[in-house]
Amino acid sequence: MTKAEEKPILFPKLPDVCVRCATCMTACPVSRVTPRFPGPKQAGPGAQRFRSASEASVDDWIELCTSCHLCDMVCPAGVPISELNLMAKAKYLNERGRTFRDWFLVRSDLFGELAARFSKIVNPLMKNGAVRRLLDALLRIDRRRDLPGYEYPTFRRWFRTRPAPEGGGRKVAYFYGCFTNTNETDVGKAAVEIMEAHGLTVIVPPQRCCGIPRLGVGDLRGAREMGLRNIDLLRPTVREGIDIVFSSTSCGLMLRHEYSRILNLPGAEELAGRLFDICEFLLRLHEEEKSAVTFRPLSMKAAYFAPCHLRSLDIGLPALELLRLIPGLDVRLLDADCCGLGGLYGFKKEKFAIAEEIGKDLTEAVDRMKPDIILTDCEGCRMQIHHLTGLKVLHPLQLLRDALPQPIAHP
Amino acid sequence: MDLRTEVLIIGGGATGAGIARDLALRGIPSLLVEKGDFTSGASGRNQGLLHSGARYAVNDPEAARECISENRILRRIAPHCIEPTDGLFVSLPEDGPEYRANFIRACEAVGIDTLPLSPREALSMEPRLNPKIIGAVQVPDGAIDPFTLVVENARDAESRGARFLIHTEVTGLIRDGLRIAGVRVCDRITGEEYAIAATWVINATGAWANRILGLAGLKIALALSKGSMLITNTRLSERVLNRCHPPASGDIIVPNDTVSILGTTSLRAEDMEHYEVTPEEVTFLVVELSRMIPDLKGERFTRAYAGVRPLLQLEETCDDREISRSFALIDHGSCDGIAGLVTITGGKLMTYRLMAEKTVDFLCERMGLHVPCSTHVQRLPGAGQGHTLKDRLARLRRQTPAARGEILCDCELVPREAVDAILREGKVRELQDILHRTRLAKGTCQGGFCVYRLLGLLNELKKDKGSGGSNVVLRGFLEERWKGIRPVLWGTSLKEEELIESIYKGLFNLAPEEPGRQGGGEA
Amino acid sequence: MKRFDLIVIGTGLAGLTAARTAVEMGAKVLITGRGMGALTLFGNTIDLLGEIPPETEMAEGIPRWIAAHPEHPYARTGMEGIENALADFRGLFPPPYSFAALGPGNSLLPTGAGTMRPTYLIPATMAAGAAMTPAGTLIVGLRGFKDFQGDTVSLHLKCRGVTLSLPRYGLEGLTALALARLMDEASFRERLGEAIRRQMAGELFIGLPAVLGFRNPAVVLKTLEEITGARVFEIPMLPPSIPGTRVFHRFREELIAKGADFRMGHLVSGANVKDGRCEGITVQNPPLATEYRADRYILATGRFLGGGLWAEMERIVEPLFHIPVFQPGERGKWFGERFFNPKAHPIHRAGIVTDADLRPVDETGRVILENVRAAGSILAHHQAIEEKSREGIDIATGFLAAQRALAS
Repeated sequence: MTKAEEKPILFPKLPDVCVRCATCMTACPVSRVTPRFPGPKQAGPGAQRFRSASEASVDDWIELCTSCHLCDMVCPAGVPISELNLMAKAKYLNERGRTFRDWFLVRSDLFGELAARFSKIVNPLMKNGAVRRLLDALLRIDRRRDLPGYEYPTFRRWFRTRPAPEGGGRKVAYFYGCFTNTNETDVGKAAVEIMEAHGLTVIVPPQRCCGIPRLGVGDLRGAREMGLRNIDLLRPTVREGIDIVFSSTSCGLMLRHEYSRILNLPGAEELAGRLFDICEFLLRLHEEEKSAVTFRPLSMKAAYFAPCHLRSLDIGLPALELLRLIPGLDVRLLDADCCGLGGLYGFKKEKFAIAEEIGKDLTEAVDRMKPDIILTDCEGCRMQIHHLTGLKVLHPLQLLRDALPQPIAHP
Repeated sequence: MDLRTEVLIIGGGATGAGIARDLALRGIPSLLVEKGDFTSGASGRNQGLLHSGARYAVNDPEAARECISENRILRRIAPHCIEPTDGLFVSLPEDGPEYRANFIRACEAVGIDTLPLSPREALSMEPRLNPKIIGAVQVPDGAIDPFTLVVENARDAESRGARFLIHTEVTGLIRDGLRIAGVRVCDRITGEEYAIAATWVINATGAWANRILGLAGLKIALALSKGSMLITNTRLSERVLNRCHPPASGDIIVPNDTVSILGTTSLRAEDMEHYEVTPEEVTFLVVELSRMIPDLKGERFTRAYAGVRPLLQLEETCDDREISRSFALIDHGSCDGIAGLVTITGGKLMTYRLMAEKTVDFLCERMGLHVPCSTHVQRLPGAGQGHTLKDRLARLRRQTPAARGEILCDCELVPREAVDAILREGKVRELQDILHRTRLAKGTCQGGFCVYRLLGLLNELKKDKGSGGSNVVLRGFLEERWKGIRPVLWGTSLKEEELIESIYKGLFNLAPEEPGRQGGGEA
Repeated sequence: MKRFDLIVIGTGLAGLTAARTAVEMGAKVLITGRGMGALTLFGNTIDLLGEIPPETEMAEGIPRWIAAHPEHPYARTGMEGIENALADFRGLFPPPYSFAALGPGNSLLPTGAGTMRPTYLIPATMAAGAAMTPAGTLIVGLRGFKDFQGDTVSLHLKCRGVTLSLPRYGLEGLTALALARLMDEASFRERLGEAIRRQMAGELFIGLPAVLGFRNPAVVLKTLEEITGARVFEIPMLPPSIPGTRVFHRFREELIAKGADFRMGHLVSGANVKDGRCEGITVQNPPLATEYRADRYILATGRFLGGGLWAEMERIVEPLFHIPVFQPGERGKWFGERFFNPKAHPIHRAGIVTDADLRPVDETGRVILENVRAAGSILAHHQAIEEKSREGIDIATGFLAAQRALAS
């Protein structure tokens, strides 16, 4: 077991405003499927009255919180429930120590690059039954979970080595995120192509993993390190007055809000002012009539799922609104709260069943709608929905790219 | 049903229960009657402070010495009723460094350990303190749970033969010539009236002393002083916080489990039964104590309560049995010519054991017994079983829901089994008795949710006995709760109240019993 | 930066109604708020004016009430306004899960405390409760579900009660939502239905806690009625309210489908007011504060619970626009001496005073903000708890505010 050597977490002075109304209990996807997690009312502000910085943590069930933030969104008093949970989780795991599995999984950026380079070997291994059983037994990575395949060249390599387009338009920087870089390069390609079709010049500044996996295991120090690094790397772009867009809603939440709100990093606020969800950004271009792009008709029935972290960004549903600009497309919002994956959560053996149970609701919504295709902005949701339904799940950008006036062929 | 006993104790506060235990340990049987539940008087309405005595060191060294001695004894005999938090005496610029120096000297003179602290040290220990403090002194204050303390005394006494009758009110003293031969009582729940014959009657009724004495045409010079306190929703400090200045109102904050208790005021009280916390007192406490903790004004208060303390007018006691400057034992035989009646009054929670010791010493002498007191060494039962906040939270971790059990009170994590255990003991007779014995309804929503659940549990039991349900108990609870909540209704507490009122009066349509009210109340 | 036709601040029933009304009128609407209002707390049915005795028709009782209470929010909407607004609300819930008045006046429904309470529009899953008879009803509690105490209900209603152990789970605290979702599963509700049937002794009515499904309450009702052969009804209990949550979700689904911009979770922390007009509002999502602009605004932020009103130690304020609030005297007078005070606590009269158009006015009656209207429980001079008028006021004033806003 890897022990972290951090000084004790002092619970920050967060407002004591919970009136015990239990509204949060109608939103929590975890407590609606398992009584092992007492629910946000009890886990957050309730337990907070019993916690003390100087006493050992006893709340091992706090690990069951997925940090979906849905509770925060419905709390009328503004209790920062998920923040309370996260602080408690961080303290608890600091004391107990984190497993090697968690140490390994949160370094997806490092191992991801390696895995991508050797994807021809890694991918078949990840599908191999014996290997999966071994991972299950040794690392407790549930073997029923499909592991994402790696791709080579990585997105960054693709961008660097592609023939440079004309440029000259307004510059926009792209934060691609680990998953796009090594596992779903087509999302990144679609992002670039769409932006270029809108007359923008895309730049890809040096960047690192946003750090949200670390936050997920309460490794605040690790998350802080990564955050500081990213702020440094992105600062020149910010100072040049260039906007930065992200296509992963979880990366976005981390960079734009958690760097500042939870981690209190210097420079976070300045960065936040320049960050936009890519659909939010493109939609604004359309609304301000700064875009000459008219989408081609696409006749199909699409289901759009709003990821939890998108809802937390509180920007509405810009992807849905953009998709509505595609003539002939019947796109509807899936009526489900949370896909259940919770980032790395659902990969872990002890949480797999909970993730499955949460996701059932979504599966039923898909069954009711019977769409041709499912779209969602979060890579975790895409993996989970595919795992649950077997259907093809894309980022809205990928469909929007296909609806561009001149669909761009790519290798 | 007439009863008979050797020693009859009137009053189920700390003093009465302490006397019963001391008697029991010396092998003397007793019967205690209390008109309410244990600690219905000042014992249940104080700040829960385990005094180090430092507060009196400068002005009243005798009282201070008494306090620190009892402090040490209580830590030995009742560790499970005590949280050894330590205390700080905090000096603000206006309190001056001279008083502080004086204070330290005075504490040392009476044997109270002190540890002077710099402002930086004090602030790192208690970050919410006013950054302008000029220093602090650490003393062995602590927090004590008076109810458990008293009930444990009673339990120990009972296991050795003492008897307790709660909800039993004394309505008359029985005279036999120039001697008191017993009391007449009324069971407040059943209404039954009967007599208890006794050789000795001990009036340990605290502020009600004259109520009892009046039944024999007697009176002592007792003043009633009301002190109000506020409870916060969260615990503001690890330690007791005192102002290092001459004792005054509004200068102490005592931590208690999950909350803090702010106190106190001192106003003449005229009526023992009807007194309340006034808006002026609330404003005063918040403003005054915000000098120690500046952001107190934005803090959330869940409840206010007041207690009436009996204050002796010492110069008027005739008897040289006055043992201490802080409490008095009055033998009405020598003072007033009425034998067999003794009043023990004054004092404070901290000195209950000493008061009991002196009382029982007196009785033993009169009875011709030579048994020494052992309450200063014999530990209370249950000592050794502490439970901390952390332990209460830990029950949520039990994996199978069945093992976790039903949690009735979400705010204070009180499980159903705690209530079942109390009911099984068979001693409780009404809802408030249950509420006194657990932390149910003592948390953030002050019973808003859990009392409904508790009553459901009680109805479940009643159903088996075939008796009907009545929301009278629920209404009574809500009315009682109101007394504590009304004085602190602003800010977030007001929001809480809107929720509770909407549930009970709106959603559940409970109304005061009014005939012909539209759909209101019972079907 | 996109400009909206209307921004609704508040996602409780008043705000939701206002937003929907506006969307139906073709407006581009942003609705933003924190929480779901009273819906998820005590909103189970639609109260209109519970004070009116059941024998009196609403069509007669309400106009009389309005005449006697000219400051009441219903005086702004008028009876016709109320009727239109309620009809609109009902339109959002087509059969089989529909809301209906069971008669021309109030009906009495059983509550989780075993009392009866008057209410007006009732969802299909509760309707049978109005017809229940003590002798003919079985109240079913669920072991381990502590927010509904079946014995309290049956004892007070003087009918038979039984507590069932749930087929799959043992003694533990299941949440209302978890139970409701279990009910949505056919296998669970069938087993529950069977378990109830085995306990019946010829009863014609079965009362259950209000957890009869989240997605498919009508289906749950039908299944249980088929299996038991009795009329089934759900009974409101301690928060959270599942029936209220259903209403919230229906509104949200509809608003998003019709193109409204629906945002939740963050505080509207500031308003940009110039020359008596609101130019924009700011929503905090730390570290960012985003401004949204519209020509018209509706303030439906609720009372104290919702944060629409805030009680400082000495007075009550409206924290967003700082609109003067009608004060109920000094703090010592806000509440009566008893919890069950003979008259409603004075503090309940506090709130925003408006003109006939629901625009906030000052003490002289002058309109303070030209393009801002107030709706819902933030309004002064009503006492939702005693009157049993909460949902009616939300719906009627939300509806009116949107109409008037878009007419201007």
